[in-house]
Amino acid sequence: MVKNDMTSLVFDPTQSAKRDSSRRRPAGSRPGPTPRRALAEVATVVTWLGFGACIALAVTTETWKQLGATGGVAMFLGNLTGLAGSYLALVMVLLVGRIPVVERVLGQDKLLAAHRRLAPWPISLILAHAVLLTFAYAEAARTGVWHQFATFLASYPDMVTATVALGLMVVIAGTSVYSIRRRMRRERWWAVHLFMYLALALAFAHEIALGPSFVGHPMTRLVWSLAWGSTAGVVLVYRFGLPAWRSLYHRLEVAEVHQEGPDTVSVVCRGRHLERLPVAGGQFFEWRFLTTGMWWQAHPFSLSARPRPPFLRLTVKGIGDYSSAVAQLRPGTRVAIEGPYGAFTAHHRRRPKVALIAGGVGVTAIRSLLEDLPRNCDPVVILRASHADEVVLASEVVELVRHRKGRFHELIGSRSEVRLDRLFELVPDMWDRDVYVSGPEGFVNRVVATLSRRGVSEDAVHFEVYSL
Amino acid sequence: MRRVSTVAASVAGFAGIVALHAGGAPSLPGAAPPPAPVSSAPGTTRPGTAPGTTTVPKTTAVPATGTAIGTSEQYGYGALAVKVTEQSGHITDVSVASLQTAEQYSQNLAQQVIPMLRNEVLSAQSAQISAISGATYTSEAYAASVQSALDTLATK
Repeated sequence: MVKNDMTSLVFDPTQSAKRDSSRRRPAGSRPGPTPRRALAEVATVVTWLGFGACIALAVTTETWKQLGATGGVAMFLGNLTGLAGSYLALVMVLLVGRIPVVERVLGQDKLLAAHRRLAPWPISLILAHAVLLTFAYAEAARTGVWHQFATFLASYPDMVTATVALGLMVVIAGTSVYSIRRRMRRERWWAVHLFMYLALALAFAHEIALGPSFVGHPMTRLVWSLAWGSTAGVVLVYRFGLPAWRSLYHRLEVAEVHQEGPDTVSVVCRGRHLERLPVAGGQFFEWRFLTTGMWWQAHPFSLSARPRPPFLRLTVKGIGDYSSAVAQLRPGTRVAIEGPYGAFTAHHRRRPKVALIAGGVGVTAIRSLLEDLPRNCDPVVILRASHADEVVLASEVVELVRHRKGRFHELIGSRSEVRLDRLFELVPDMWDRDVYVSGPEGFVNRVVATLSRRGVSEDAVHFEVYSL
Repeated sequence: MRRVSTVAASVAGFAGIVALHAGGAPSLPGAAPPPAPVSSAPGTTRPGTAPGTTTVPKTTAVPATGTAIGTSEQYGYGALAVKVTEQSGHITDVSVASLQTAEQYSQNLAQQVIPMLRNEVLSAQSAQISAISGATYTSEAYAASVQSALDTLATK
């Protein structure tokens, strides 16, 4: 049921602002744990140590005589590309493994960007591995390439599964090429993408059974198996186990849906033990509303306020079938969550003062982030929208800003009317502040580009992109 | 800065494994001189020397004659032992004493490459043979078994 007035019966935003203004942290949920930057640095170094070790593994199992033998060079390169490619595939899995310590430092945006940047490498290397070794063996056995391929399938251990895995990988990589991906529904693409786990599992057996670095080398075999085993464990625990556990533990259900603006609704959920949900302002969850038409898709929405046990609130802008379906949600609908994710938090602040810039519905993350910011941070909040009625949650933001003795501005008007350089008129000391930017991708990119052009240091700029 | 640290870490990882390999792992026959047998018996073929040359024994000068079965060598895909026949220090025949493999493919492969390996041993007159590409482990096992048979013959 959508209430048409703009106030909530159960979620009192003014109460949240008042409570927050007290010296103590509000009786709300537990703050998200502090990100440990050093841990992420260590993880990065270990990752690349491992990459070097993989190359070394391929090199040390090779001898000059083998290299000189018929097909030897291709054989060596085939082994090398196979090892390097599957190692990078492992790294890609870990990047999207939703590992909390990594998520908190880098945020999902950056992790996904790294995943995407790395993506072409493993698939190319693994393809090269398959082609090179087929040619190498064909040359060594003095037979044709297709004959050798048939021999692989017919008589080599675990090569049928490995070939199936390669086929899957090629298809999955294909659907992720931008020009093809944008023509697919997000959910369908995602479902195809999940098959990568199957492909990697299928490929594992032939690595162990045939890889020259593993056959007869129990130690490397053990380490390789442990690496993949623990990666599988990480995926099971953090991508599937933890979200399932949190959803069951907190038992969220829709308490109320109410209109915030012309096409924006807030969903207030009721749940158990929300004080134990470790979430920081500015973070988001993947939400799954368990109704007939919606249970199979999860969508990211920011919390638009810190949880007030037993309630928490998300705010959704109505674009597309899905968001309009959110407006029709009935109280009592069960909700499953994955998260919290995102590094758009007060933990990443490096300077005493802040500027918060939100485009459209990006205000939701700014709104909850403000609650986590101390009273002396002199916040300047700028909300950007094309029309005045698109500014949502403004009264709550104004209240939070007032308690922090900050300033509040709205930038209303079409893109041609509002130049982003105005930001520097509103915030003359932008260079002395941490700047938080959230909103649709185009908006965030333009603001970040403007900030960078005007010489605001990159490590002071934090952003969260809303994909609509 | 970040790029530098990733490259540095990769190089360190590489160096670590190479160092580990150089320190502990046994070298492959044919790749580098295999370590001398523990009991440096007279007549042992000295590793690394030209094919066919044997060290001049301190006590006996009689070149080996006879037949010996080499140790059964595990090689990942199976196990292999050879029988070597020598006439006055000259290798006249090598045959397979036993061969078990994990699966059919390795059996086929072994049967393909064993004649080639035999020819290599006969022409090299030692276990110092190059590995057949695509059958590296079989080659190594074969060479190792031949070497152990030669050692046995030399100490007889």
